[in-house]
Amino acid sequence: MALKALDIYKLLPKKNCKECGDPTCLTFAMKLASGKGDIEKCPYLDDHAKSVLGASTKPPVRKIKIGVGERAFVVGEEFVQFRHEKTFYHPPGIMVSVSDTQTKPEIEQIVTNVRDYVLTRIGMDLRLNGIAIRNDSNNPEQFGTAVSYAEGCADLPVVLMAGTLAAAEAGLHECGNYRPIVHCATRENYREYCSLTKKSGAVLAIRAGTPDEMAELSTLCTEAGQDALLLDLSSRSLRQFINDSTIIRQHAITRTTPSLGYPVFYDATIPDNADAALVLGILKYGAVIVIGPPTRPSEKALLTLRQNIYTDPQKPIQMTAGLYRVGNPGKDAPVLMTVNFSLTYFTLQGYLESSRVSCYMLIVDTEGLSVLTAVAAGKLNETMVRDAIKKYGVENEVSHRTLIIPGYASPLSGRIEEETGWKVLVGPRDAAEIGEYLETEWKA
Amino acid sequence: MTLQTQNIWNGRIGTVTIGADRAHGGTRTLQYTLGGEQDLAAVGPGATQQRPLIAAEICDDPGIWSPIVNTFMGDTVNDTAGWAGTMESEYHPDIVRLHLTSTRKRNFKDFSGIPETVSGVLKSTGLPLIIEGSNDPSIDSEVYQKCGEASSGERVLLGTAEAGRYRSIAAAAMAYNHCIIAQSPIDINLAKQLNILLKEIGVPYDRILIDPYTGALGYGFEYSYSVMERIRYAALKGDQDLAMTMISAAPDSLNIREVREARDDETDRTAATWEFYTAFSAVIAGASIVCVRHPLAIPLLKSAIDSIWPHSAGREA
Repeated sequence: MALKALDIYKLLPKKNCKECGDPTCLTFAMKLASGKGDIEKCPYLDDHAKSVLGASTKPPVRKIKIGVGERAFVVGEEFVQFRHEKTFYHPPGIMVSVSDTQTKPEIEQIVTNVRDYVLTRIGMDLRLNGIAIRNDSNNPEQFGTAVSYAEGCADLPVVLMAGTLAAAEAGLHECGNYRPIVHCATRENYREYCSLTKKSGAVLAIRAGTPDEMAELSTLCTEAGQDALLLDLSSRSLRQFINDSTIIRQHAITRTTPSLGYPVFYDATIPDNADAALVLGILKYGAVIVIGPPTRPSEKALLTLRQNIYTDPQKPIQMTAGLYRVGNPGKDAPVLMTVNFSLTYFTLQGYLESSRVSCYMLIVDTEGLSVLTAVAAGKLNETMVRDAIKKYGVENEVSHRTLIIPGYASPLSGRIEEETGWKVLVGPRDAAEIGEYLETEWKA
Repeated sequence: MTLQTQNIWNGRIGTVTIGADRAHGGTRTLQYTLGGEQDLAAVGPGATQQRPLIAAEICDDPGIWSPIVNTFMGDTVNDTAGWAGTMESEYHPDIVRLHLTSTRKRNFKDFSGIPETVSGVLKSTGLPLIIEGSNDPSIDSEVYQKCGEASSGERVLLGTAEAGRYRSIAAAAMAYNHCIIAQSPIDINLAKQLNILLKEIGVPYDRILIDPYTGALGYGFEYSYSVMERIRYAALKGDQDLAMTMISAAPDSLNIREVREARDDETDRTAATWEFYTAFSAVIAGASIVCVRHPLAIPLLKSAIDSIWPHSAGREA
């Protein structure tokens, strides 16, 4: 069970030497208590303290880094079952599969797409993460060659879906130093896989049929010295995956079965239901997800879903307050005031663009709250609107003095008029109606 | 030992029946009883799990409908009853959701057209119906009265009640024995409050479905996803005022930039994919009915839902 910061503090040297990078032993203890610290950073711990602290201060799901360089990513280090309890920290790595029976150009085309495809949303660049090479030839040499094709055109993290030890060896020969994932060890051959992957610093995916067998196998692997593990339950159905993955996450975060405290590996290349499997992988704790080459619509949707689910619910994404242009607004263009909650901004902006009316958006800093919440919480008021008009020079941009405010801000309309001297028009509550509203109501 | 999930639940989702077949005084070819779950969606033994339903959305005035759907369906959209029939025979949803978009026009007066539209749809499809009335309080009373009367005996699901405007719809539901959708703006407390308000004016809980409002994928869906998870969690923990089944529809899905700006030859696929990702995620968060507008989203959802809920529970003989 997790220790409190003060219990941990009692076991620390209390020297405040700062060698761990924290200003005091107490702040270090607080970090450990939240699962974000690393006890190895304290050089003065005795073995007893280490053994007490080691088990209870590690994140309940082990943090594992995959790949090297710019595109390396981290999975694990998760603490909750539901994102609303806190947040999900590390979005799953999406690995696109190629087969070693494909030709060099075919492999290169898929790898290049993963390397280059970027979807930019809400100011973030979203990408697929890596390549999974499948041993379909059953020939270690051919597998190794396919790995070299993939390695030859991009520095992406890879999964060696080797199937056999010989193929894994051939694959590691090509990319062993780049922290790949080797898939997969079972109860029968884990010793060989552990020693092979430990030698090169690779991550090992292990496969078992049930959470119970998985717990045993992961214990055996850690005893054999390999603890950079991913758990593959090789779930036979979508339903099985939801159940297995939920069991693993719960047993990990409650620390009732610490040997299940590793990130989940999910092969989502299920014929006919590839999108469904992928959605489940993203929603239900998948950490490394293998998919077939996605269609463009799926590519966009999956990256967007992953971004949504891994958005921190504790911190709304905010826009910088200011005056934004839509189209080419002139002196008589409408000015629409709204809040700096990014979703409000992007939703309104989308509808304004499709209405084809050039205009200004005056974004007021409500600390990322939506209109409704900002009005209720007093985070949007008339003086803020007045100050924003002045600060962003709206009076120099337009010749009129009319401000359109969101429908949910209507209680403030009178006070905004008094405070700013501008005429206030109350717009629709729903941004979808803004086009029609401007068409019928707007006259500069 | 066999490792199990560890959530401890002491509540259960209430049941609600939608549609009435001949044995129950209606004319539907089947009816559904939803709810009764005692765990998270798709978790735990299959017997306690109802299969979620897919509702195909149509409207009676395609002028304010997605141009993508209008183009895909062609002339069909100008014949509301025919549209409903086509959806049932070609795409096989579980429910048809009729939006009376004609009532959104300024100075709408054609109240006598409503019963005509509703009975036309009831004739052309045997599936249970959801009917979405006006969204203007000044005509609510008349619109819902007409909707309720025209579908009397069919146990339709009437939408949509909100805090501040729920009396007309509740009155119509009670008078004609229908169910209602109670929508709140992505907030578990407001959802609970609206249910209590409805209870106070005499709407029993087995007639209410919660619509926690669903933002489009990429445009606030994460809030809706978490609110659905929280409502399901609260219900399973025993909160009776939140223990209704949920309905999820993301009305903006086909208007967002990613879908609008898709390449011409990818428009339909993008629209269907976007709706699928949203609706299927909603199912996993706990929704019992998910609504889509693009017909091609229906087979995608069906295949995914069938593979998790292979039995056709939810249907009542």
